[in-house]
Amino acid sequence: MPLRLRSAKFSPSSASSQFPSCPPTRPQCITQSAQLSRDFSQTSCQQITLRRRKFYEWMNGPGRQLKEPLPDSTNYLGAYDKYGNLVRAGPGWQRNNAKKEVADNAPAMKAEEVTKDPEAEPEKAPEGQEDLDELELAIREGEAKEKDSKAASKAEKDDGKLPPETAEDLRPFPLNQYFRSQPVLSEDLREAIYKRVKKDGATVSLASVEFGVSNERVGAVVRLKQMEKEWIAQGKHLAIPYSKAVLDMLPTTPFIDPSQAANKGKRPITHEPINDLIVHPATRQQLFVPVSESRHFTRVDAGKAFDNALLPADARIPHPELIQAEREVSQGLSFDERLRLAEARLAKDQAEKKRLEDAKLAEIRAQKVVPKRRWDFVFKDVSVESVGRDGRDYKGVGWRYGVPHEDRKKGQVKIPTKVEA
Amino acid sequence: MVLRIRLARFGKKHAPFYNIVVAHARTARNSRPLEVLGTYDPKPQAPRPGDTHGRPWKDIKLDISRARYWVGVGAQPSDTAWRLLSMVGILEPQYRVGKIQGQVVRADSAAKSLVPEQTTRPAVEALDRVEEVKAVET
Repeated sequence: MPLRLRSAKFSPSSASSQFPSCPPTRPQCITQSAQLSRDFSQTSCQQITLRRRKFYEWMNGPGRQLKEPLPDSTNYLGAYDKYGNLVRAGPGWQRNNAKKEVADNAPAMKAEEVTKDPEAEPEKAPEGQEDLDELELAIREGEAKEKDSKAASKAEKDDGKLPPETAEDLRPFPLNQYFRSQPVLSEDLREAIYKRVKKDGATVSLASVEFGVSNERVGAVVRLKQMEKEWIAQGKHLAIPYSKAVLDMLPTTPFIDPSQAANKGKRPITHEPINDLIVHPATRQQLFVPVSESRHFTRVDAGKAFDNALLPADARIPHPELIQAEREVSQGLSFDERLRLAEARLAKDQAEKKRLEDAKLAEIRAQKVVPKRRWDFVFKDVSVESVGRDGRDYKGVGWRYGVPHEDRKKGQVKIPTKVEA
Repeated sequence: MVLRIRLARFGKKHAPFYNIVVAHARTARNSRPLEVLGTYDPKPQAPRPGDTHGRPWKDIKLDISRARYWVGVGAQPSDTAWRLLSMVGILEPQYRVGKIQGQVVRADSAAKSLVPEQTTRPAVEALDRVEEVKAVET
């Protein structure tokens, strides 16, 4: 007689009495499930357990807010108190109002995300690269400022406005308060990075400095964007609704278009610290090196103390050119002089990049391509002389004779270590 | 002794890789040859990144002038080696099938690259031709 037991244990009135403001939407769901259950059902637990009751209590109480995602905001558990109220919402804010507002000016909101307001002072723009929290705070402040000014322009909707997320609102796991949801690159920013690198021909490191995104991420963005464009050209279907839905739920770093007049004095929002020194495995050990007092022990020597092949930290950081620029400032060079030096460096970079690209193109052009039914046969002309006089040179063409395979040897890397972009 | 230009199979199981070699005809397949002319990787490679409508390709390295020399002094290519050498124009192709197929591929890609206006014109010409044929028949 499981049915009777169920009705005896579960009283919907007790569940709803705790939250008078939000009446339970599905108080009957458990009794319905009892009707649906069949004799042949293999479901192990058919009774109303404490956990089940608690779950439905939560679903009809505080959890009800999470069923419908809040538009244009993250929807993490950390943003709600235990009664299901949005903590950061003001007293005048109502969920339905916000939804209506978004529906009213949905296209306008998208445009405003990109165009930032002109009155923001340049010195207040985010520049803290050292501390991640500081950086995050700066981003949030920037957004808050934007939303504030927007609210000021629309005074009638002022009190119904939802403030931007604070650090506490970005905690998806309430029991792990140290985990924060990190912002991801917005679609506009990714497109801008791709354009800067591929169309304008900027180097990856230059784009990294300009957008405040790390070198690796810039490389990944360029490669994935290129794949996306190839797929579009091939007529493949992209999961755009999915990516849109995910991006709507995550905090994103917006793109500030400097070409627009509205963004005259603004600097791009820094996505992450870009000049962090990667810890080299050789430097993980503690080292005491006796050095005579008279010796001039520099960072180069410190690098060599760990490993003979290890470069100094100055050369291993992702952006040594930023240090160089700061050094020039501290040397007291004039602005024109610094500009000239920077341009010379840039020109050198571009020339090197062009040289590599030209070499690649020339190599492809030297190949003879014979198209056949299923694939192209690509002939590269080589020289038989490259095997050397004894015929055992490792640079020689073809599989080598009389030399054992080394692919089972220790330390052979078989997974690809780089990708062609 | 007959000299042959042939393939010597290296590589692993299910991952063939060939040296294109000049060797005496009666020596073992993978014995040390007179000369290694190049390599032939029969595994099709994926189109290069950035090559949107690219086709898969097979990588062949060949010392073309040296191959021409060995053919000139009477080395006899095996069927497969003949096929490869004929692709770079060292020999006349043994079987014409491949060439015709190549022409088909080229005609195909040319037809695809045409803009719609030009593609309609051959259709009109074909219609004209059909009418001519009809006129001849009557």
